Amino acid sequence: MNGRRILIVVAAVALLILVLPMTAAGEEVTTNVTIGVNEYVALNNDIYIEVLDVGIDMGGSAQVHFYSYQDSVGTEKTLYMGDVPTEYTSGSGMTIEVTLDSVFSNGASFVIESSKKLYVTERHAGEVETEAVTVPKLTIMRTIDPNEAEIGQTVKVTLTIKNTGNGTAIDIELTEGTIAKTYKDGCPSTIDDIAAGATERIEYDLKLGGDAQPGTREMPPSVLNYRGEFGDSYSTQSQSSILEIIAETVLLPELTISIDPIDYVVTCGDKVPMVVTITNVGNATSEKVYVKGDLPPGVRLKGGELEPVYESIKPDKSEEYEVTLVANEEGKHVVEMKVMWADEEVTAVFEFRAEKSGLEKYYVYIIAAIPILLILLWIIKRRREYSY
Amino acid sequence: MLNILVLGLGQCGNRILDAMNREAFGRGGTFAKYYTRQKFPASVKTIAINTAINDLKGLVDTRAKDRLHVPHLHGVGANRTIGKRVFEENKEIIMSEIDKRGTFDLIFIMTSAAGGSGSSFAPLLVRELKETYKNAPIICITVLPFREEGSIFLQNAAFCLKDIIDEKPAGVLLVDNQYLKKYAGDIKSAYDKINNTTARRLLFLIEALNSEMLMVTDLGDLKTVMNGGIGIGTMGFYEASKDSTIKSAILGSFKPSGLLFPTNVYKEGARAMLIIKGDKKYLDLDLITKTIEELSTEVGQVFKGVLIQRGRPRVLSLFTLNSVPELEKLYAIAAEAIRFEKENRDKSKSQLDSAFSHIEDLEPIY
Repeated sequence: MNGRRILIVVAAVALLILVLPMTAAGEEVTTNVTIGVNEYVALNNDIYIEVLDVGIDMGGSAQVHFYSYQDSVGTEKTLYMGDVPTEYTSGSGMTIEVTLDSVFSNGASFVIESSKKLYVTERHAGEVETEAVTVPKLTIMRTIDPNEAEIGQTVKVTLTIKNTGNGTAIDIELTEGTIAKTYKDGCPSTIDDIAAGATERIEYDLKLGGDAQPGTREMPPSVLNYRGEFGDSYSTQSQSSILEIIAETVLLPELTISIDPIDYVVTCGDKVPMVVTITNVGNATSEKVYVKGDLPPGVRLKGGELEPVYESIKPDKSEEYEVTLVANEEGKHVVEMKVMWADEEVTAVFEFRAEKSGLEKYYVYIIAAIPILLILLWIIKRRREYSY
Repeated sequence: MLNILVLGLGQCGNRILDAMNREAFGRGGTFAKYYTRQKFPASVKTIAINTAINDLKGLVDTRAKDRLHVPHLHGVGANRTIGKRVFEENKEIIMSEIDKRGTFDLIFIMTSAAGGSGSSFAPLLVRELKETYKNAPIICITVLPFREEGSIFLQNAAFCLKDIIDEKPAGVLLVDNQYLKKYAGDIKSAYDKINNTTARRLLFLIEALNSEMLMVTDLGDLKTVMNGGIGIGTMGFYEASKDSTIKSAILGSFKPSGLLFPTNVYKEGARAMLIIKGDKKYLDLDLITKTIEELSTEVGQVFKGVLIQRGRPRVLSLFTLNSVPELEKLYAIAAEAIRFEKENRDKSKSQLDSAFSHIEDLEPIY
């Protein structure tokens, strides 16, 4: 008796367990349905959805025929991936919203929503292929190393091509940008197929021709034209690149001569220091450097060697020397100093104005005053001599 | 060259000395001392000596080193007794200062007889100089005061002159301010002219004594002249006009108007010296000799010296006298003044004694 009771309870529990999930399933409002081309499904024995065709344009599309028992004619609509849901209401008043989820070569998958629980009550024809449509998508990035180069140098150009799509890119053609008077070495015009997710790296040399124009030059973008496995064509391009072309370095010495300025006005007879600095601002050592000085009338050399000779001056090195001049005459004096090397020469001038000394200005007065002073002193002396 | 010492004592002597120094600058005027040196006709050393420093400061043409201040406040106040004491206290200083100037052939002492320092120093200095410079004749140029200057000055003059004569210098040449007052209206101008006149005549004499002359007179002759009479004399001067003869010039120098002291030379003269300077064309030696011979019969021995010099004839006459009536007058006035002073003093003393007698037996009561 007890065994029978236990069996009944277990059976009841098992039945309850089976019944509860069925009740929950009947409240679903969204379902996924995959339908092959020229096939259909019936939902809740009311609405029929028939896939008439699929396409891969615009990221994938499907031509669908909606109809029902009380709407036998129905409506045909083209659904696009990513588009807003397409609404259809049957003759009995059941409404569904359909969104194209994915497109395959012979069918499409949809997401169907409704306020009612949906059941696929009929399905025509059988299996639907689940293989997706493949689309290649290439990106290309270009680097130039170094991006500064002298004329005559060669830089390396690297193209990094990545297929971020899901299909293989085939028939890839590369159209590389060009900078005038530069020459590519090893730059391909076609590139092997690139499978989805694969990355292709291409390097070639870009030689800057001798007649290339120095300055900042823009290299136009690299352009890739390619097709997918289904023959669909695509195109992409890189950013443009900047290449700084530097004029070719010539190894030559170049000397400058400078003279430290002084207070412009000096006094006649005073020592005037003149500091001469010769600097090699070129990129090669200068051999045999001669300095010549031209003293104007009224100026004489008081000390130092005015015209030294240097055996060599290395690049970025300087030679400095000091001479002492004395101006005997008043007025503006210009000393011209010339440095000569190879067949080149540069000149610097040293200007100053010499004036008579403060005392000298008054020489006439002093000379005139001396006898007066002497007379005055004499008078004072005599006055003291006769003062008591 | 003669070495001559000229000492100016007291204010009067200082000023005559200063005038001599000024004359020695020539015709340069006030500023001559600033550009030229004094040119004495001989080696002349001058010293101005005074107890009053302000008098020394007032000198203009005398070098500071030739001014000797004998320290005694600011003068001796015309008191010859004090002056003599000051001299005795400072005679080493005075003689030392004189000694620095070397030796001398002739010494002139110029002083007023009436003042304090000069009148008291002069006799004592004569004594000292005679002892020190035995061979140098000392001639005192003594200036007599205006008679109205006061009893002190008159009695000073009287006693000073007596003291000087007592010391027996080579001679005394008198200069009488009272007589020479005629030179100018006011006292200061008169003093200046008297000083300048005296200075010029002394320089004239010094130049003659030190020069080569056409007809010679010298220091020896001067000494002889000064020994004549009572050893007191004076000087006369005359500058000939355009049409004057040398004789009139010589006689002119004997005239009272040219004398420094009032006297009748023809009557009272003992010996004389005539110094004639002038252009040769004016100097007729025969006439000069003849004129002097004529004068000698009246004046006594006349020494003459003739010096050729540009310009019209100028004649300096120097006399010693046998008698000096004017001095007697002076002494009479001085004696009268002394007596008057004494009487007044006695009278005043008597009055004072009489006044004091009223309280003779009394004591102050407090």
